[in-house]
Amino acid sequence: MTILAGIIEAESHLRILPIVGGALLFGTIGARVFQLIRFPQVVGYIIIGLVLGRSGFELIDEGTIDALRPFNFFALGIIGFMIGGELHRDVFRKYGKQFVGILLSEGIGAFLVVSILSTALLALVTRELAASVAVGIVLGALSSATAPAATVEVLREYKTRGVLTTAVYAVVAMDDGLALILYGVATSIAGLIVSPGGSGADGGLVAALGEALYKLITAVAVGVLAGIALNFILRRGRDREKALTYIIGSLALVIGLCGLLKVDEILAAMALGVVIVNLAPRRSYSAFEVVERFAPPIYVLFFVIVGAHVEVVGMGLWMLGLAVAYVVGRSLGKMLGVNIGARATKSPAVLRKYLGLCLFSQGGVAIGLALAAGDRFASVALGSVAIGSIIMTTITMTTLLVEILGPPAVKFAMCKAGEVGLNVTEEDLMASHTVADMMNSSPPTFQESAPLAVVLRTISDTDAASYPVVSEDNSLSGVISLSDLKQSFGAEGLTAWLVAFDLMRPAADTIDSSAPLTEAVTRMREQGLECLPVLASKDDPRLVGMIELRAISRKLSQEILRRHRLAENGAI
Amino acid sequence: MLELAKFLTPERVILLSATTKAEVLAELMEVIIAYNGAVDREELAREVARREEMMSTGIGNKIAIPHVRMEGMNKATMAVGVSRKGIADYESLDKQPVHIVIMIAAPKGEHETYIRLLAQVAEALKEADLREQIINADDPATVHRILTGGGNE
Repeated sequence: MTILAGIIEAESHLRILPIVGGALLFGTIGARVFQLIRFPQVVGYIIIGLVLGRSGFELIDEGTIDALRPFNFFALGIIGFMIGGELHRDVFRKYGKQFVGILLSEGIGAFLVVSILSTALLALVTRELAASVAVGIVLGALSSATAPAATVEVLREYKTRGVLTTAVYAVVAMDDGLALILYGVATSIAGLIVSPGGSGADGGLVAALGEALYKLITAVAVGVLAGIALNFILRRGRDREKALTYIIGSLALVIGLCGLLKVDEILAAMALGVVIVNLAPRRSYSAFEVVERFAPPIYVLFFVIVGAHVEVVGMGLWMLGLAVAYVVGRSLGKMLGVNIGARATKSPAVLRKYLGLCLFSQGGVAIGLALAAGDRFASVALGSVAIGSIIMTTITMTTLLVEILGPPAVKFAMCKAGEVGLNVTEEDLMASHTVADMMNSSPPTFQESAPLAVVLRTISDTDAASYPVVSEDNSLSGVISLSDLKQSFGAEGLTAWLVAFDLMRPAADTIDSSAPLTEAVTRMREQGLECLPVLASKDDPRLVGMIELRAISRKLSQEILRRHRLAENGAI
Repeated sequence: MLELAKFLTPERVILLSATTKAEVLAELMEVIIAYNGAVDREELAREVARREEMMSTGIGNKIAIPHVRMEGMNKATMAVGVSRKGIADYESLDKQPVHIVIMIAAPKGEHETYIRLLAQVAEALKEADLREQIINADDPATVHRILTGGGNE
C-alpha cells in the first residue's frame, strides 16, 4: 500500500515509469485473458486501460495521459509506418483502382448514413433542423475515418495474408485523407448554417477545402522527403541495430514536424513507410522486421492509454441514442459503401462481403478532429447543450464502443475470408505443431538382433541420418548412425556375426511425441543432432517415430509456400 | 591400431576344463569379475545371456567372441579361454565345436573402442595356423604371447 500511495503522491514525471510498467504488465495480462476467450488482444489492452484510467481506478490520471501524449503520437507513427510498409507498388498495380473505389464509397457511405441518421434523430429531439444538420454532417465526416491501430493489431495477431488483408491496409491507410477532406467540407458548411453571414474566421467552403488539401499534401510531402533521406542512410549501413535507430529517429522527427505544422502524423508516417518499401523492397524487409520486433510494448501501452483516456460520464438518454445511431449508421454506411464500391470496381467477392466488417475501428483522427470541432462550435448550442460537446461526447463514447466491437469483427471477417494464419514464419508454424505432426512414424528401424549385413543393406537403401534400434517390445534400445558404422567397415567377417545391438549406442536424447515441435528443434540444434527418436510418452518408452531436422525444415517451407500461394490465389 | 596387450594380461587367459557353453561363459565371467571388482556379477551374466539370445557369438573357425557393454566397467577388458577338446554346444555359425573363447566386456560409453576391439580380435585370429597354435598351447602365457603379437618362441 505504501508503495502505491508513494506512486500516487509522487511528482507526475516520477509517476510515469511505474505507471508505464504497470500498464504494460496489466495490459498484457488482460490481453492474455481475452485471448483465452478468443477475443483479439487489443480489446484486453483497452479494457485494462479503462479499468486503470479516468473511468476506473484513476491510477492513470489526466496528468499522466497528457505527459504520455508525445508517446501516443509516436505509437501512431510506428503504426502508420508499418501500414505504409504493406503498400508495395505491386499492390497498387494489381488492385489500385478497386481499393480507391472502395475507399471512396465506404467513406462517403458512412458519411451519408451517419449524417442522415444523426440529423434526423437530433431534429426529432430538439426540433431545430438547421443546427441538427450542422451537427449531423460533422459527425458524418468524422465517421468516415477508420483507425488503423486496432485493426492492424488484429491482422498482426492472427497472421493474416491475402487480398482482404491487403485491402484493409490500403483502405485504413488512405481513408484518413478522405476524412480530412470531408471534415473540411462539413465544418465549413456547418459553420455557414449555424452562423449565417459567416464569421470572420470562416473563409467558406473553398478555403476549408484548400486547407484540407494543404494539410494532406504537407503531411505526405514530409513523409516522402523523410523517406528519401532515410533510404539514402539505410543504403549505406548494413547494421540492423543501427537501422532501427535510424528508422525510429526519422519517425520521431517526422511526427514532431507534423505536430509543429499541425498536419496528420499517421499520414506522414505512412508516406515514409510507402517510400521505403517501394524504393528498396528487399532491404526494407529487414527494416520493417526490426521495427516489428521493437513495436509490441509500444502497441500495448498505446491501447491501454486509449482505454484510460475514455471518460464515461452521465449523459442524457438522447445522447446515448445519438451514439447508437452513430455506431449503427457508421457500420451500415461502411458496409453498404464497401458493397457498392466493390461491385462498381468488380473487386473480388471476398472484399465485397467482408471488407466492411474490418473498418469499424475509430480512433486518433476522429478524436483529434472532434476536439477541433469541439473548439470551433463551443459557443453554439443545440437544445441546451453546446454543439461542440455533443460532437466530442459522441465521438468519445462511440470510439470506446467500436474499439471494443471492431477487433472481433475484423477477426470474424478474416476467419470467414480464410486469411487467418496465412502470413506465417517458420517459428509460428513450429509453435503450432507437436513432434507427432512432423515425425516420420515409420522410420527404417532395426531389431536388436538384426545382423550387420541386414543393417548395411537397409542403410544403403534408405536415406536417414540415424537409425533407431528397438527391443522385442518395440522400446528404444539405441541408435545407429552412419559414423558408428565406419569402424566396422574395415574388418572382414564382422558382417556375419555382429548385430544391430552391438553397433548401436545409447540415444543422445529422445523426445515425447506430444512435445512441442519448437522444443525438438531447439534440442537438436543445441546438441548438434540431426534427428531424435520419438517415444510414445514420458512413461512409455516405445518408439513411435523419428524426427529429423532437415525433414522439418522441408515440411515447414512447403507449408509456408502453400499458405502464401493460398493467400495470393485466395481471391475468388 | 589398438594393441590387444592393452586389454589382456596373461592372468586373464585360462585353459578350460569345462566343456559346455554355459560353464565356459560362467568361468570367463569370473575371470572378468576377479579383475574388476566393480562389475555386477548378475548384470554381467544377464547381458552375456541377452546377447547370446540374439545371435550366437560362436563366429565359426573354432572361435567364439561373447561381448557385452555394461555399466560399472571403467575400461574395456578381455578374458580368454582355450579348450583343446572343444565346446560342442556353443551353436557356432559353422556348427563346429568352439575351441577359443574370447570374452570382451566394455564400458557403455566406449563405443568406438568396443567395435574396433571386436574387429581386431576377429582379424587377429584369421589365420588357421595361429588358431591351431593357440589351441595346442600348453600354458596361458603362450596363448597370451601369440594373441598379443609376441609370436610363438
